[in-house]
Amino acid sequence: MVEENLLVTPFGWGVLVLIFTSILLTYRVLFGPTLPDRIVGLNTITTKVVIMIAILSVISKQYFLIDLAVVLLMVNAVGGLILSKYLERRGRGD
Amino acid sequence: MIEYLLLAFGEVIMIFGALGIIRFPDVYTRLHAATKCDTGGAMTILLALALYTDASVFIKLKLLVLAFLIALINPMISHAIAKGAYKYGIKPKVVVDMYAWDNP
Repeated sequence: MVEENLLVTPFGWGVLVLIFTSILLTYRVLFGPTLPDRIVGLNTITTKVVIMIAILSVISKQYFLIDLAVVLLMVNAVGGLILSKYLERRGRGD
Repeated sequence: MIEYLLLAFGEVIMIFGALGIIRFPDVYTRLHAATKCDTGGAMTILLALALYTDASVFIKLKLLVLAFLIALINPMISHAIAKGAYKYGIKPKVVVDMYAWDNP
């Protein structure tokens, strides 16, 4: 049985709070003074999206979406490592 | 009842982490706030979910594995970004000068 209204539990309101904080962090991604600021904002937003997927999968009882959250977390890890390697190479000047 | 308390705790950590990322003056201090809100808040909310759900044991175990992976991966990314930002050429603006606190 799938719930029609997702705001019947406090976890649904928690998803709304996470969306609000992600919109706050979008300011740092758009107007960040340097490149590492943008990378920090993107990693934080992606972790919040992982938590949102986990909460929505538990609320709507579609439990296969937790696997998708794990995959998105690992993609976040690989993307962060590649971007930090790019930063190291850029600083050396070549 | 305890899962709602854990959820509220995690959401408060998320909100203050976002405020810290917006208001702090430097990359490294922003990274400090980002790591706190990512790791602590995310693990707390996932623990609350594992206590809340009425599914089988394997679903709860899967949520706990997700929390464990977050605890492994997020500090690693933060260390890598800090190293990359220092080699990129950004010097820390904030220094701790404890002698100046007592002798203004």
